[in-house]
Amino acid sequence: MGTLIWTTIGAILTLSVYSFLYKDNPFYKFAEHLVVGVSAGYYLVIYYYNFIDPNVVTPVFQLRLGDQPIGFGSGAWWLALIPGLLGLLLYTRFFPKVAWVARWSLGIYVGGYAGLGISPVMQARVIEQIGANALPLTSVTNVLIVIGLLGTLAYFFFSMKHRGILGVFARTGIVFLMVGFGASFGYTVMSRISLLIGRVSFLLHDWLHLV
Amino acid sequence: MNVFEKMLAIDRRWIFLAIGIAVIVPFFFPLGLPVVVTPPVEHLHEAVDRIHPNDAPLLLSIDYAPATLPELEPMAMAILRHAFERDVNVVVMTLHPAGYGLAESALLQAAEEMGQEYGTDFCFLGFQPGTSAVILGMGVNIATVFPEDAYGTPLSEIPMMDGVRNYDEIPLVISLAGWSAAEAWIYYARQPFGQTVGAGVTAVMATDFYPYLSSNQLVGLLGGMRGAAEYEVMIDRMDKGVQGMDSQSIIHIMIIILIFAGNIAYFGARRRKKQEEAEAA
Amino acid sequence: MKRTWLTFLAAAAVATSLLGAAVAQEAAPVVEEEVPREDVPLDTVAPAAPGALTARDYLDSNDAGDKIELDWELSPDDGAGSCDVAGYFLWRSRSASSPGEIVAELPSGQTHYVDRNLEPGAEYFYSITAFDGTNESAAVTCAPVAGRVNLFQTSRASILALMLVFFGLVLVFTKLAERGDELFVRRIPGLNAIEEAVGRATEMGRPVLYVPGIGEIDNIMTIASLTILSHVAKITARYETPLIVPTARAVVMSAAEEVVKQAYTEVGQPDAYNPDNIRYLSDAQFAFAGAVNGIMLREKPAANLYMGAFWAESLLLAETGFEAGAIQVAGTAMVSQLPFFVTACDFTLMGEELYAASAYLSREPKLLGGLKGSDWMKVVTIALVVLGAVLNFMGFETFVNWFRTQ
Repeated sequence: MGTLIWTTIGAILTLSVYSFLYKDNPFYKFAEHLVVGVSAGYYLVIYYYNFIDPNVVTPVFQLRLGDQPIGFGSGAWWLALIPGLLGLLLYTRFFPKVAWVARWSLGIYVGGYAGLGISPVMQARVIEQIGANALPLTSVTNVLIVIGLLGTLAYFFFSMKHRGILGVFARTGIVFLMVGFGASFGYTVMSRISLLIGRVSFLLHDWLHLV
Repeated sequence: MNVFEKMLAIDRRWIFLAIGIAVIVPFFFPLGLPVVVTPPVEHLHEAVDRIHPNDAPLLLSIDYAPATLPELEPMAMAILRHAFERDVNVVVMTLHPAGYGLAESALLQAAEEMGQEYGTDFCFLGFQPGTSAVILGMGVNIATVFPEDAYGTPLSEIPMMDGVRNYDEIPLVISLAGWSAAEAWIYYARQPFGQTVGAGVTAVMATDFYPYLSSNQLVGLLGGMRGAAEYEVMIDRMDKGVQGMDSQSIIHIMIIILIFAGNIAYFGARRRKKQEEAEAA
Repeated sequence: MKRTWLTFLAAAAVATSLLGAAVAQEAAPVVEEEVPREDVPLDTVAPAAPGALTARDYLDSNDAGDKIELDWELSPDDGAGSCDVAGYFLWRSRSASSPGEIVAELPSGQTHYVDRNLEPGAEYFYSITAFDGTNESAAVTCAPVAGRVNLFQTSRASILALMLVFFGLVLVFTKLAERGDELFVRRIPGLNAIEEAVGRATEMGRPVLYVPGIGEIDNIMTIASLTILSHVAKITARYETPLIVPTARAVVMSAAEEVVKQAYTEVGQPDAYNPDNIRYLSDAQFAFAGAVNGIMLREKPAANLYMGAFWAESLLLAETGFEAGAIQVAGTAMVSQLPFFVTACDFTLMGEELYAASAYLSREPKLLGGLKGSDWMKVVTIALVVLGAVLNFMGFETFVNWFRTQ
């Protein structure tokens, strides 16, 4: 019975969202606002108990619900305090007079993640791809891959006008790009249909038990 | 209004209705269309097959949210059933806050089906935010990132985690994600640590991952509900993935017909308009 | 005509890919079952010892010096001879005088093992024996080996080399731009389309709608979009065309207000700036799309410009704008959304064209330096791919393998 109530609520919300396909209506608006509010609250709780509490609050203050004395934590408690404070400083962006302080935090955050990412992204997206796509032109597939790669790179070359041999490669590149976009579009349609199938499965199987 | 203009003026709600019917009917009258298994799915299946039973664990990162559940949960169930059937130990974690409940639900359901015991055959580490920091940290020492499992048990007290210090002791990581988490595993586990990585992603993202597959940075790839269906065929346990394929195929055929019809109507209407303008002139 | 052709091509590709997924074929392939190796009955005679054992420092991504790699030759009785080898014992010791302890029990047929979690720099003595379940062969030893912490990972030298090349190019061109040198960037065709769209809106006396995406202010696409917004705002200010800018993020709205106000001031039309046209609608994705659709239907802009980071709402926006009859130009680096914009808009700035347009318009040295640096990095990449393909064709794989870092 308990499961039926929640499943029914889920089904009603699903149908409310799908009612938008007919036209915009209060049921759709309600469902959409509900999901925004619930997910914000849910994420807040999850983030607090899984991240802020064990990584900042507990090391610094050793606060635990019920069974630990309040006091300063382990020797390296300040290591948790510094990033915690930097995180709090990000909120100064909402106060115009001190908004500049947020740039320090943002700079460390963006710089840190950019630094972490430069080498592996370069390796995964450029260097390994050079190794994988420098193929001997011994089959139609290999020829298509190499020509498509060179053509696409030529299309996105901005330092010269697309004339002559560069223009030829650029026009070839745009053809490959469009074929790629078409394939991507097809996959996206497939994905959206799959989501619809999932919801219909929920309605017919989990809610109505018809199948 | 000529026939082409009428076709272009069809209220889209009739098309929505037709698609809705096309999705629902195969649930009641399954066609049983065969599902052909493609090499990327085969390779991922083989990678899981290569893991020794009751030894080093498979790390399954269930990084999806409710929005992508229909595509990715069937993958999670199929992989978990495959692993448990072979007595492969499984460690599950998540990098998405909404993934916590979904990961736990899928894991416990599969474990109960296959009679697996928590702590000996599988464990759930829970959620940690920070994606790249989490993945990099686990490459050095898993216990610094997840000192306890999701239920508060220290990792040192979980029998199956004995001797599992970092990626050196993990033969395969599979990330199931509808966002950039799967890429993050390639960047921060595969590249620095040489960890073998497989991925299951939504069909929208699948095209972005083929370059990683062709450059051997991914050992295998499941794309969308179709990928889940292929994996279910490989383990011979049909579930929501295969169940959805009949509807998927019908709707694809419908969309192809609509595309052709739409193009015929568009070019026909344009041609008719030009003829009328020429006659008027 | 171009758009029709492109639409047809995209539609044909869509149809083909969907058809491929829908065509019924033969049954799923049979998954071969592994045939377990039969246990050979053991005898009381010890198997022959394995062949030569070699041990060396294991070079891996971590370079921690805590792993040693061992290789050996199979025992003559492993799969041949008396065929009674059940496996191998790998022994490790800290001294030559003692065999030490068994660190691994390996199955028959295996000739390779990596010993882990060792002490870097410490010397280890290894030996290996074959066993048949009751008897153990004589031990085969090798010279002592110590794991070394490697300061430089030679297998990843290609990453260092190419990163130095790339950063060098970016720095050089940034410096040239700062010095005031003229750096040629071809005019992006999309910019002409933008100006044409704004011109058409002016002729029709209807507003221009500029959507800067739903990304946050720190998203590089949003930043590029705001640069293009400045350019568009100057044109609309000059022609006194209303400019509506709906945003999905409060901070982006503040930034857009500043950009548009600044643009109007630079053109000498500060009084024409209307802050009510820069609107924060909603953070929620589809609520934002619904609200923008409402603006399109009510205020009927003649030109819709979508520049920035978009997700699933992209097609909702572009399709509604198409139905409303507006001329549409889009620009995004979100690869998954480009197909939607290409099919529904009159012109699309794809991927890096958005950043190139932003660099072209602003002439900011860092943006120009980055653009030129990545351009010439593409030339380097093309050269490497062509050279690698030719060498690969001639049978020389070493060059290409240098880029395979795993």
